[in-house]
Amino acid sequence: MPKLTIDGTELTVPAGTTVLQACEQLGIEVPRFCYHDRLQIAGNCRMCLVEMEKSPKPIASCAMPVNEGMVIRTNTPKVKKARQGVMEFLLINHPLDCPICDQGGECDLQDQAMGYGMDRSRYDEHKRAVPDKDLGPLISTHMTRCIHCTRCIRFATDIAGVEEMGALGRGEHMEIGTYVEKAITSEMSGNMIDLCPVGALNSKPYAYTARTWELVRTETIDVLDAVGSNINVQARGREVMRVLPRLNEDINEEWISDKTRFAYDGLRRGRLDQPYVRTNGKLQPASWKEALTAVAARMTSLGGHSMAAIAGDQACVESMAALKDLFRESGSPHIDCRQDGAKLDAAVRASYLFNTTIAGIEEADVCLLVGTNPRWEAALVNARLRKRYLRGGFRVFSIGPRLDLTFLVENLGSGPETLGAIAGGGHPFVETLAGAKRPMMIVGQGALARADGAAILAAAWRVAVTCRMVREGWNGFNVLHTAAARVGGLDIGFVPGAEGGLDVNGILDGATAGKIGLVYLLGADEIDMKRLGSAFVVYQGHHGDTGAHRADVILPGAAYTEKAATYVNTEGRVQQTRRVVFPPGEAREDWAIVRALGEAVGVRLPYDTVAELRHRLEAEHPHLGKRDTVPRAPWSSFGTEGRMDTAPFVSPIDDYYMTDAICRASETMAECSALFVANIQGATGTHG
Amino acid sequence: MSALVNVVRSMFLLELLSGMGLTFRYMFRPRKTLNYPHEKGPLSPRFRGEHALRRYPNGEERCIACKLCEAVCPALAITIESEPRDDGSRRTTRYDIDMTKCIYCGLCQEACPVDAIVEGPNFEFATETREELYYDKNKLMANGDRWEAEIAANLAADAKYR
Amino acid sequence: MGEFWSGYAIPGIWIVTKILALLIPLLLSVAYLTWFERKVMAAMQLRMGPNVVGPWGLWQPFADAIKMVVKETIIPTKANPGVFLLAPMLTFGLAVIAWAVMPVGDGLVISNLNVGVLYLFAISSLGVYGVVMAGWASNSRYAFLGALRSAAQMVSYEVSMGFVIISVLLCVGSLNLSDIVRAQETVWFVFPLLPMAVVFFISALAETNRHPFDLPEAESELVAGHLVEYSAMTFGLFFLGEYANMILMSGMTTVLFLGGWLPPIDIAPFNWIPGPIWFALKIAALLFVFVWVRATFPRYRYDQLMRLGWKVFLPLSLLWVVLTAGVLVAFGWAPGA
Repeated sequence: MPKLTIDGTELTVPAGTTVLQACEQLGIEVPRFCYHDRLQIAGNCRMCLVEMEKSPKPIASCAMPVNEGMVIRTNTPKVKKARQGVMEFLLINHPLDCPICDQGGECDLQDQAMGYGMDRSRYDEHKRAVPDKDLGPLISTHMTRCIHCTRCIRFATDIAGVEEMGALGRGEHMEIGTYVEKAITSEMSGNMIDLCPVGALNSKPYAYTARTWELVRTETIDVLDAVGSNINVQARGREVMRVLPRLNEDINEEWISDKTRFAYDGLRRGRLDQPYVRTNGKLQPASWKEALTAVAARMTSLGGHSMAAIAGDQACVESMAALKDLFRESGSPHIDCRQDGAKLDAAVRASYLFNTTIAGIEEADVCLLVGTNPRWEAALVNARLRKRYLRGGFRVFSIGPRLDLTFLVENLGSGPETLGAIAGGGHPFVETLAGAKRPMMIVGQGALARADGAAILAAAWRVAVTCRMVREGWNGFNVLHTAAARVGGLDIGFVPGAEGGLDVNGILDGATAGKIGLVYLLGADEIDMKRLGSAFVVYQGHHGDTGAHRADVILPGAAYTEKAATYVNTEGRVQQTRRVVFPPGEAREDWAIVRALGEAVGVRLPYDTVAELRHRLEAEHPHLGKRDTVPRAPWSSFGTEGRMDTAPFVSPIDDYYMTDAICRASETMAECSALFVANIQGATGTHG
Repeated sequence: MSALVNVVRSMFLLELLSGMGLTFRYMFRPRKTLNYPHEKGPLSPRFRGEHALRRYPNGEERCIACKLCEAVCPALAITIESEPRDDGSRRTTRYDIDMTKCIYCGLCQEACPVDAIVEGPNFEFATETREELYYDKNKLMANGDRWEAEIAANLAADAKYR
Repeated sequence: MGEFWSGYAIPGIWIVTKILALLIPLLLSVAYLTWFERKVMAAMQLRMGPNVVGPWGLWQPFADAIKMVVKETIIPTKANPGVFLLAPMLTFGLAVIAWAVMPVGDGLVISNLNVGVLYLFAISSLGVYGVVMAGWASNSRYAFLGALRSAAQMVSYEVSMGFVIISVLLCVGSLNLSDIVRAQETVWFVFPLLPMAVVFFISALAETNRHPFDLPEAESELVAGHLVEYSAMTFGLFFLGEYANMILMSGMTTVLFLGGWLPPIDIAPFNWIPGPIWFALKIAALLFVFVWVRATFPRYRYDQLMRLGWKVFLPLSLLWVVLTAGVLVAFGWAPGA
């Protein structure tokens, strides 16, 4: 624990701390461009110069480890002059195009030039110009603005794990780029835009559309995957202009995936902005009253047992709770929130949660992936795995397709038989697990969303138990979800009722056979619409996607940026979205639609405001009241032992950029899908 | 004594008469009024009149959609929307000034880094309807083309004080 | 038939002709008084005044008249329409009727009434009814306040005006206006009765609601007082009436103090000029003073106005009546004595 003096204040810091970090502990701001908390130290911008006693020159504080007895000064004229010199050099080649630069207003260089810049240039020669690079449909480049901090290179190499960025040339001829011109093949590439301290890397979809100061920022969460990344949605007027990450060490640190960041243009296109009713085979615009009356008439004429409800991947807890209440009151037990047919057990909470928690990955030492591709199913979980992997002493094994997860994955087999072998204890991998201090297992939807899912879940439970994955203070059993709504739906019991309720397959078969006369789709688009037969389909959702095309009545709802709604992420963490903009046109918040439909049917749901609904929910499910924490779920047995199929595991996501209605409406996502997925599908071997 | 003088002055209405004397004298002073539509007063090169969006001599519009004018406008009279033009340059797709909100403070032209938005010398732009005072980009560009000679002369005259 | 012509028709036509001969120049004068006022005020304030309609803006009164006639007459919903419309007519009618006894030259008078002064005094006092009716009928707070002020103001100043007239009558010994003028052949009463002339003129300002006593209108506090609800020709009639009243008051002052149609000195070339011209010139001079005062002084406060009327003018004029009578008796100058 070396002791040092900074600006006259003594402090003791752990060994290996850098001078810059020590300064930050004291609250002293040291300007920097290349240094970043989560990236490796480069020490090449020289902006963080400070004065050190007994050193003839100022030192770069970001790269200097603390030594015993160091005396550092950060506010002397010499330091200021040195930083001014660095700034002057940086500005020699940096163009003065702040007015047209999208970074203008949130630019580190701009801000620090206020403190250390000169008001005029002494440089009369020609500035250098660098041709722009094409980094794909997400990142626009203005390489003349680049100050060579190499943050993007370090991010691509370390965090994203794609060694595609680098610097070519030296001195004035140095250029950042992809060695051969190509798009960055990472699901996290958007984070480079945030990292870039100048306007060299900018968001391409956002280019030139807004300025930072005219955006209204709302802190909310993302629901495009089950991670529940904390995001900052920025809107102008009634339009979402961009999505930025928000720091949450437990979930997404300060990264978000490209889907989270760039799918927002899907929120503007293909929206359902008024109710529709199908008359004479065509969907006709209708008023809310007409639409609700049409649904209510059908619901009252049918008995409870011939109605069913399926909740989609982005349904919020409130709307599912209201719909559940409505169907229970109407006498229908046929409700299900697992539209992919995953055999998840709602009775045991630990059986469907990511019990280790995402931050807990950093403590694991062995990880077994069962039928999952975390890189596509939850890019930020994958980033955590890579972070843990880079620290060393961490081995990752997989059962399922061979994957490129940006780190070494040892494949044990492709299907249930390997899992069965491990569960039976006859597989050599058991010894690896037995030797591990904190082993973990991630079971993906690729393993559970199949006919033998319950048996696979039971086998996974046996593996967890026999290999002592669940110990004192450690639960290594994890289920990785792909849908933001899933855990919330299971938590409130949006599953078939005990009195002979049908699950999603049962409902679809019933509809095909004509036994189910009405199917209520709460944003459910990922089911096979052909199997709905001649049933009367009510679609409540925000996009005109497959569900809306099949629907007989469309009730326009709100997307995740348009309502304050509760979601539970794959860890079981309860979080809330906030309303950024209002829903378009006639669209309304989802729970209120269900409430209004109840009124039309003659079932008066006992809540008039979302607050009353939440109180009721919290009374029934107390954990929903505890936000942003992950209470440990009690462990017990789950799954149904049975015969497992031999078919290999397949990831449920075959196109990372096209997983839901919002992404499918997004032009940016379509471009990415065409560019990346078409090219790399074979290479990553997603299909084994 | 002075009280007595005051009483006398007041009794003989001397204050009133002296006041009337003043107005009478003023009656023969030269008039200050300009015969407005026919005569006009001098305008400073800094005069802040009707807005105009200027072009470069090669015909390219100056405005680069930096939105600094929109940000600085204290009356929130300016509304700008922008997107990349086909050639990749940053351009406005919409540049509206609500002249009924504008307070003619001139901060927009101060903020403009490319001298695109300027307040020209024209102050005679009264309209018959309110709607005509919601200027859009076409109107502002047309103003720029119409007043370019005067605006350029004014900017040149004022340049040495900037 | 002959009797009809000589007894009724010819005198009738003659009277109508006389009335028209008086009324048309009077109305023209009223019209041009507005132009004159605006021009003089403008000059004193270093402005141009009306100069667009016709040469030097000479057609301005007609433009104004056309505007007044063409505009819509608005009668407020809550107003009493009968009284509301009657008020401007009354004001204007009274201002015109008073001219019946005004001698514009030697023998040039429509009706040579023996109690002409009383008639004039009575008619000008009736003027307050127009204002009070307007204020009441408008059913508006501003109008009502203006009317109240106007009534109180007129009552206050009429008292001292009456005393002033009495002091003149003492010197003349007749209530006939022509006799009053002839009594001034030696000296205009303005010289012996100067303080009374001043009091009379100032009271005339107050009587006509002119600056600095325009409290009933008081744009800045009462937004035009009793005129607030009037528009178009109803307003126009008030306007005409007020300006006709100004001319009437100037005429009264001229008759009482400035020797009516008499030339200043009864020698050539002054006595070549006909009496009516002198009369008109004297009125014009007084009207100029009206305008001049308006351009010079700010409005009185209401309590100051009352103080001036009751505590200064009333004692002063009363004292002067006693003094005049005393002097006339003491020196045996009293007419008819």
